[in-house]
Amino acid sequence: MEPPSRTESRTHPSSESSTPAREPVTDLSDLPPLWSARRAPGLRPALPLLAALALWLYAVRHTDVSRLDDYGLVTALHPSFWAGLAVLTAGFWFTVRDRRRPGGWPAAYVLGLLVMERATQAVLYPTPLYAWAWKHDGVIDHLLTAGGLQTADRIGDMAVYDQWPGFFAAQAALVRLLGVDSAAMYMAWWPLASSLLLLFPLLLIYRTFTEDRRLIWTGVWLFFVANWVGQDYFSPQSVAFALHLGVLAVVLRRYGRSGTGGGSGRRGQAVWTVVLTVLVMAMVISHQLTPAMLVVSLLALVLPRRHRDWVPVATTVVIFLAWCATAALPFLSAAMPDMIRAVGDIGGNVERGYGATPTGAGALATSWAARLLSGSVLLLAAAGVWRQPVLRYRAMPLLVITAAPLPMLVASSYGSEMIFRVLMFMLPGVAFFAAAALLPKLRTLAAAEAAAEAGARRKTEPPARRGSGARPRTGFGIRVWGPLLVLLAGTAAFVPSYSGKDRINYFPPQEVALVGQLFDEAPEGSLVVAANRNYPLAYASYGSIDHYWFLEDDRSHVDEIVRDPAGTLATDMAGVDRPSRAYFLFTQGQLANSEMNGQLTGAQLNSVLEFVAASPRFRLVAENSAGAVYELRQPEEAEGTEGTGSVEETEAVEGTEGEGGGER
Amino acid sequence: MTPQDLVIRMLPPFAGWLALAALALPAGSPLRGAAVVVFLAAGPGTALVGLCGPALRARSARGPVERRDPGFVRHSDLLERMMLAVFVSIAAVMIVATVLIATHTFSAQRVLLALTLLTTLAAFCPRLRASPPSRTRKGSVL
Repeated sequence: MEPPSRTESRTHPSSESSTPAREPVTDLSDLPPLWSARRAPGLRPALPLLAALALWLYAVRHTDVSRLDDYGLVTALHPSFWAGLAVLTAGFWFTVRDRRRPGGWPAAYVLGLLVMERATQAVLYPTPLYAWAWKHDGVIDHLLTAGGLQTADRIGDMAVYDQWPGFFAAQAALVRLLGVDSAAMYMAWWPLASSLLLLFPLLLIYRTFTEDRRLIWTGVWLFFVANWVGQDYFSPQSVAFALHLGVLAVVLRRYGRSGTGGGSGRRGQAVWTVVLTVLVMAMVISHQLTPAMLVVSLLALVLPRRHRDWVPVATTVVIFLAWCATAALPFLSAAMPDMIRAVGDIGGNVERGYGATPTGAGALATSWAARLLSGSVLLLAAAGVWRQPVLRYRAMPLLVITAAPLPMLVASSYGSEMIFRVLMFMLPGVAFFAAAALLPKLRTLAAAEAAAEAGARRKTEPPARRGSGARPRTGFGIRVWGPLLVLLAGTAAFVPSYSGKDRINYFPPQEVALVGQLFDEAPEGSLVVAANRNYPLAYASYGSIDHYWFLEDDRSHVDEIVRDPAGTLATDMAGVDRPSRAYFLFTQGQLANSEMNGQLTGAQLNSVLEFVAASPRFRLVAENSAGAVYELRQPEEAEGTEGTGSVEETEAVEGTEGEGGGER
Repeated sequence: MTPQDLVIRMLPPFAGWLALAALALPAGSPLRGAAVVVFLAAGPGTALVGLCGPALRARSARGPVERRDPGFVRHSDLLERMMLAVFVSIAAVMIVATVLIATHTFSAQRVLLALTLLTTLAAFCPRLRASPPSRTRKGSVL
């Protein structure tokens, strides 16, 4: 069934035509309240927004992030931040509900939300968050140094980035054009920038299905609140996701059978396909997973007859396959056996990998906050689909796109991250239908017309016949305050979900300086050994310096290291010839990651450090409050100190065995 | 073409040449950063979308069933044009930089110069138009 044509829809009276102001007044209760006209100046919605931003500013000036605990930013934030968030959310809800307000105010509130959500960390922390963001900075630095793409023969596993170089090549150009030392100078602001990018396609997609700005903006609000997955950081997927939504927005609006009776036919479609091609190409050369998600979404979109058009999906598949069969072939041919094995293994695909199990009260609490937030939004979306049959029909393509990523859970584990990625790709549709659950029931045009007529008839009836129940207000409180409470809870839950693990993700300037000093001094061909890769600049100079993260090794070998730290590590680090060196790097970021993600406990890891520090086989190179760097002595150097060292080391090993045995 | 149209059409290439000129400013200068970021974020896309504008407008957009707000379609089309200007710009930067790096001819100045030339070319090209409709067209325009 095709939607009614525009000509037809124009003939329907608008909802405004039955407002009391245009009808004969028969009852004083029908008059609009006097205060709304006289005391509601246009800038009134600005008050909560400005108050919230003032509270936020006060909060960021009075928050100390130097001593983060296991709850990350949640316990570190000044209470005024929470007050600001509550004021902002309440202000948004009362503004977006009010049809008299100009459409710009909800937009201003969403921008306020983005500032409070995605810019707080950039303002609070003196260094960029996330080891992955630092890794991407390393990739850009490598591209600039190498001046071209390299294969696995030269850079090993890191060659995968040279096979999807779009984002990194663009950032390499930007770094040079800005004249800054590295992307680390601006990447802390990337979450805000990438979230702003998402606003365009998100609004456009929602505006394809409804004119109701309450639904549009509440959907946008819920999307940003529920998008805690953290793929907005400095990464290719942050841009690829925006492009993915942009392509979907264009396809939803410009492809498929015309809603106006096929009047436009294929006119202009070739040019639109060229535009799509440009967007898809940028996505395909930048990220592995996003084009696959786009293909499944576009395939799903050909299911409803209204949007059946094979051109977008064929275009995307051809470009994707062309890239996979040429530039990305080395990686794919190596990874194909594992990828094939993962198909159908749902349990394995959604299972958390080793070192990704939240451990400790803080990590568990924030992990549960995130799960509850996602679960609640999914439930709300299901409720929205169930109680809004009109929207279910009108926005059927969006419903289809929302469910499309689910089969990817069967296809791959994507490094134990697939469940989060699927959630993120579902979120635009989920947020839209969740918003629909919070808003009054949508009616068809005919039903709206009938209701308007009934309302008009009721108003013209004599007051005596209407009785006291003529204007039922039942449930008004629940309709207003219920959704507000949901929005408040969701907006508050975003903070622990998104920033609850900042103890892992934040690297203080001392840590950056320590690692920077190591890489400045390390000769080419050196080896850096660390517990895990959660430290800044971990991939600096990866073209010339090797790494070994021992907690990612087999569990039996990790146990060996715990039993005999200095001896085992010295053996692991042996074989590096002069002038190269072998370094042991220990930082607070590694400790936090190991403790909170279920690797080694803090006590175990600290004991490893103590024994390395006490061993004559290692020499302290650098140390500060954030960690230490030790260098493995060459055998001839170690001989000079072996007399006393061997005794200390023996004691240390015995001590470790006792402690380690007790722990296990 | 009115003088106003001409100014709007020439803005993207002007921003590109301005960004190139801004490279003479000291490294890390905010003015240099602003000129570069503004052009890279919107310049090429604005010019290319402008070039294809009439052809893109020939295809009507799908919208909500209800049509209560007369400006809704126009605002959606404007939003779409803004999105395409930004996204096509970002895509162009990524594609040009990748081509240069894959051919071992990468330099940031070359990326900027190539994009500025592309933008200038797009601004000076006659607008692309779709083939005439076979019958009277109904529906919205971009």
